[in-house]
Amino acid sequence: MKIALGILQMVLLVMGAPLLRGIVGRLKALLQRRQGASVWRPYSDLWKLLHKEDLTPPSASFVFGLAPLLVFAASILVTAFIPLLADSALLGSAGDFILMVYLLAFGRFFLALGGIDGGSAFGGMGASREVLVSCLAEAPLLLGLVAVAIQSSSVSIVGMAGWALGQSFFNISAVHLLAFLALAIVALAETGRMPVDNPTTHLELTMIHEGMVLEYSGPNLALIEWASAIKLSAIIGLLIAIFAPWGMAVASSPAGIGLALVVLLAKTFAILVALAVIESAIAKLRMYAVPDFLGVAAAISTLAVILTALMKR
Amino acid sequence: MGILETTAGKVLSSYSVFLFLTVLAQAAVRRFSTSVFLFGLQSAIIAIQVAVIGYHEKLVEAYIVAALIVVLKVLGIPYAFFRLIEKLHAPREVKTSTSAAESVFIAVGIICLSYAAVRSYASGVQAPEDGLAASVALILTGAFLMVSRKRALMQMIGLLVLENGIFLAALTTTFGMPLVIEIGIFFDVLMGLFLMGLFVFRIRDTFDHMDVSKLRKLRG
Repeated sequence: MKIALGILQMVLLVMGAPLLRGIVGRLKALLQRRQGASVWRPYSDLWKLLHKEDLTPPSASFVFGLAPLLVFAASILVTAFIPLLADSALLGSAGDFILMVYLLAFGRFFLALGGIDGGSAFGGMGASREVLVSCLAEAPLLLGLVAVAIQSSSVSIVGMAGWALGQSFFNISAVHLLAFLALAIVALAETGRMPVDNPTTHLELTMIHEGMVLEYSGPNLALIEWASAIKLSAIIGLLIAIFAPWGMAVASSPAGIGLALVVLLAKTFAILVALAVIESAIAKLRMYAVPDFLGVAAAISTLAVILTALMKR
Repeated sequence: MGILETTAGKVLSSYSVFLFLTVLAQAAVRRFSTSVFLFGLQSAIIAIQVAVIGYHEKLVEAYIVAALIVVLKVLGIPYAFFRLIEKLHAPREVKTSTSAAESVFIAVGIICLSYAAVRSYASGVQAPEDGLAASVALILTGAFLMVSRKRALMQMIGLLVLENGIFLAALTTTFGMPLVIEIGIFFDVLMGLFLMGLFVFRIRDTFDHMDVSKLRKLRG
């Protein structure tokens, strides 16, 4: 039963990921008074790409073909750590949050390698920017999670979610509030959303993600796009699991899990609306302003860690 | 009745968290109007806390003080600031000598410092440590804003944040001063604001800008 539930959660995160992208796109279109594409379009995009020819640049080595597979595998593995419907996950007790963070970094590393290996100038530029952003985002991500881990005295995501489930919603702790702020900023950077990277265009000189994947085509591109969609859904799932798990099924009965699913969908939709509003309201930062933006997150998460010692509750 | 009691208890136990958040945000903001808004928010948090203390200690005076804070600091002063911005045609951007990340790091340091400063004191008297730390953090942040921001308008904000901190310190240690003194302090703040507003106009008229880091020469 537990294994089946774990697999169901992974399937939700992996198969639902393109839908989240579609919903954000649609919401943004509605906010900007455009009609927008159907929410199912990312699926048909993936389907189309999977049936296209795969072109490899003549200068590329074997890394170019290997990178999309590793990126996709790493992001699928990340979803196995995240509890969605109940406080358990397939690999919930097998690894801690540090492993999860570095699985994300592993995927990013190979994506950057693939981008460089393509041999185009844009690929190298995008890769160097991605590496800069990710090394700036890594400290606040880890520190924010460390603060929550100290507070809940558990190193696994499942343990943190279980601890938060036992707390009342109104016992606002400064540590959680600050860690949430820091992780929300990091999430924007990690998933390449608006103030850091513009996900909708590959016509800008400031692009990060799109620059890296410019040389990819066909099934390889489909894998990379799908992997980055999974990253978005995994990070949203992570934020919900750590900071607002209320509604998760305590006993794994079908009715409880059904209810948990409805609550989860509502929470996810709320986050997507917030994301669409942020993306429509805020202009993209200049590349030189990104370190400052992530520095604020680093400061906030440092304070969160310090407050675990200072604030007694 | 039960709900009111619990809400009051929660407000008393968590207001300092929100004050810390406003301190951090105040250090990070880049736009003057956001800074004014944050000051209003900060004052609103303090007003709620005064009202809750009044409810707890059954003090009618506290309600009057809370109402005064709402009228003066939550509505009046921010409105005056927005009028001032309009009249001065001041640039919207806050000019700082430290970057946003550096400012937030300094604010984090200030919060840690204020915990260290009140630790020995808070154990001696009947005062919540978090609340005292928040008030010291407000005082220090106000001073920091005044030092690190370059435009004269932001120094007014810094002074007001500092005043909020002093008010909060008095509130957490003594559960509020007599009403006459409170009214006197409010009057002081108002007069101070008028004088600073006049000064800002004078600075603008004499120097054609409000960048205090460039005020080096005397002019008649």
